[in-house]
Amino acid sequence: MKYSIGAAFAATLLASAATLPAQASEAVGKIELITRPQSIEPAEFQSAQIVALMWRKLGLDVEIKVMPWEQLLDAVWYNRENWDTTAWRMVARPERSDPDEVLFNMFNSSTMENGYNFIGYSNPEYDRISAAQRTETDTAKRQELVKEAQATLAADQPNMMLAHPKVAQAFNKTVWDPGTVVNASGIGISNYWTFTRIEPLGEEKDIILSSSNNVVAVSPLYYGGPVDNWITELIYDRLVRVGPDGLPTPSAAESYEWKDDKTIVVTLREGMKWHDGKPVTPEDVVYSYDVIKTGEAPYYTAFAANIESVMAEGRNIIFTLKEPSASFVVSSLGKINILPKHIWKPLIDGILDKPENAETLQEDHPVGSGPYKWERWLTNEEVVLQANHEHFDAPHAERWILRMIPNAEATMGMLRSGQINFLGDFRGDPKILSQMAEHDGHIAVVETVDMAFAFIAFNNRHAPFDDPAFRKALSASVDRNLIVQGAYRGYAVPSNSPISPALEYWHNPDLLGDLQTGHDTAMKILEDAGYTVENGHLHYPEGE
Amino acid sequence: MPYLKVLTGKILQLVLVLWAVVTILFLLFRLMPGNPMAAYIEPAFTLEQQEQLMAQFGLDRPLWEQYFIYLGNLLQGELGQSFRYREAVSERILDLLPNTLVLTFTSLIIAYAFGVLAGAYLAWRHGKTVEAIGIPAVLVTRAMPEFWLGMVMLAVFSFWLGWFPAGGTRSPGMEFGSQFELYTSGEFFRHLALPALTLAIYSQGLPLLLMRSNMLEVMKEDFVTMAKIKGLSGWTVVIRHAARNALLPVMTSFAIAVGYQLQGNVVVESVFSWPGLGRELVSAVSAADYPLAQGAFLLIAVVVILMNLIADLLYAFLDPRIRHA
Repeated sequence: MKYSIGAAFAATLLASAATLPAQASEAVGKIELITRPQSIEPAEFQSAQIVALMWRKLGLDVEIKVMPWEQLLDAVWYNRENWDTTAWRMVARPERSDPDEVLFNMFNSSTMENGYNFIGYSNPEYDRISAAQRTETDTAKRQELVKEAQATLAADQPNMMLAHPKVAQAFNKTVWDPGTVVNASGIGISNYWTFTRIEPLGEEKDIILSSSNNVVAVSPLYYGGPVDNWITELIYDRLVRVGPDGLPTPSAAESYEWKDDKTIVVTLREGMKWHDGKPVTPEDVVYSYDVIKTGEAPYYTAFAANIESVMAEGRNIIFTLKEPSASFVVSSLGKINILPKHIWKPLIDGILDKPENAETLQEDHPVGSGPYKWERWLTNEEVVLQANHEHFDAPHAERWILRMIPNAEATMGMLRSGQINFLGDFRGDPKILSQMAEHDGHIAVVETVDMAFAFIAFNNRHAPFDDPAFRKALSASVDRNLIVQGAYRGYAVPSNSPISPALEYWHNPDLLGDLQTGHDTAMKILEDAGYTVENGHLHYPEGE
Repeated sequence: MPYLKVLTGKILQLVLVLWAVVTILFLLFRLMPGNPMAAYIEPAFTLEQQEQLMAQFGLDRPLWEQYFIYLGNLLQGELGQSFRYREAVSERILDLLPNTLVLTFTSLIIAYAFGVLAGAYLAWRHGKTVEAIGIPAVLVTRAMPEFWLGMVMLAVFSFWLGWFPAGGTRSPGMEFGSQFELYTSGEFFRHLALPALTLAIYSQGLPLLLMRSNMLEVMKEDFVTMAKIKGLSGWTVVIRHAARNALLPVMTSFAIAVGYQLQGNVVVESVFSWPGLGRELVSAVSAADYPLAQGAFLLIAVVVILMNLIADLLYAFLDPRIRHA
């Protein structure tokens, strides 16, 4: 009796063993998702929580790791092989209104080792498209390529794009005529166009705005941050500026023309003068670019790297490039400040042989040719600029005064009480700002979709993220509207492309609609690719 | 001379403490996990540029080498160059120090003047209702976080009542011929009022309670009873006779309070956008600007240590009991 039960038992065991697959597939290992702390980046932190929740439903073991920026950089940028996934963000800069910086630097395989393609995305087809859009000088054809590049990214999902945040800014509409405030694509109202075009309605003619950060430097050769950039944009001219629509428009240049795909002739506007009275000449322009080529201004070096030579000829400046570049006008002519040779040449010559670079040079009294003149800078307190009425974009305001106010609540209070009349960059709660404006009839709040974007990066170098189906499934599992409402409290728009809808000309509008999301959709993608769920855990397809 | 020996001993102690502070400061920043270059790397930087930047900041050398360079520089009075501002740390600190000193000393003088008088008063009114309400009130001010107090002051006196401006040392766009001209103007006092008051409210608790407790002791002494028998009025007794003796420890605590006050400055300067060293310190730390953060911390540490030394010496000098010991 016992013997037969034992035999039956053994037989059952053997039989069940025979029905097991010859090779059990491996469970997908624990996935680490890195994010910055809640107190510093609440939207990012919240997004990570939502994303992790959705991924866990797919049968994945997800651990969220919170780290400050310095550590995150160490873990991801300097350690490219090991990380799994991380939250990341690219901020808005006027120069990024040209899609080249994002499309090429972030996703072309040439920048995988040390550059911005830290995710390790390598797709020969994408490489071809991203390189092509770089040199395509026919704008309409380039637009096609840019949209195609975005479509390729959407199909591959090397990153999971989350959202483009909305920026809330405000001004006092009893001081400034709202009709004259310019809302620049992807940036908002704090821009060159507003500062030169707004018109006062009454007695107060000074633009008094706030910044939550200190001004680091006022120099055409040192980019100390977006706030510093407001100041240099007003004190110094540039050949070309990014217009309110996000496209380049001539500024100090009267006009420009491509002679061939590597040569561009720029005609300098007549009658421009430096703030010290001397005339602006094409030699000054040539010198401004030559300085960058010396490498003494590291921040700008990359933007002049493609220039083979710069020469002055009469009223013209002729740029000869090494490679054709469609973004040259925005990323180079639109970025490099025109500085006075008679002031800077002695300064630069003095440091050429020294270890320090031009970033250590801070003029006591900066001289430019822009619409505002330097008046004074009180450390950590205020910067005062005086309108330059002789400028071709002469402002209607009298002075531009920046107050550095680290406290977001104080900033709101000061706007309300009239101590400031323009909210430069606001780091507080946009909801409270909107509520305040509703109560106070004299404040206008302007919400803009930023060209910035937030995303979850996948480390495309190793499993399971090297499988496009896996990435697509993870991306599909998260409803972007949930991110917008849950993490951004409505102050964002969903994203499926690194090119923001704020950049209307370049943004591919079909991709967001094409993105199907939902738990079932995601599971189907996984199942179709051969993944299975066992005991609540996701397993690789067989043979992996 | 025993006094000289004491002094030398104290100065040696000071040097030792300073060295410890300097070393801890150095290690504190560099041992924090994460890459210090994070704040300064641009996506457009080539690897070569990144390495150049690290070399410029002196971060490419081994830790011990950085430490000795740092110490060497300090001995020469060199505080290094700020990573973020690319200017000498000492220049930046000297730029901002006067604003912080004015705020600190103004608020302390107010706090101590008030604290001493109120403390003496409460001691005189020992056992009465005034004391029963007064003591808890003082303890409440002591328990309030300065940040919260600052925000409340701002909300009430600046935004609601409109009596005072909300930040800075002057109205936007106002020009002054010199720093001295600024400090002696009405405009400046209007701007100084709220931050100084906030700090004063917080700081007055210590001198008040200390004064009161000393007074209670002193009032029990024979010479006080003698004065009362002589028929002198209560308040005269309090001020002319008792207070002077009770004042001694309070005065030495003033020196130490300067050090504690500087902590409060960090918060109050941020709330009131006061362009001082405290606010710069916060900013430097969050931007991983090591040289500037170290320089600012060091300055505060030096002030605290120095004031402690002064308090020690002052007490030894003023108190006849110790002097003749």
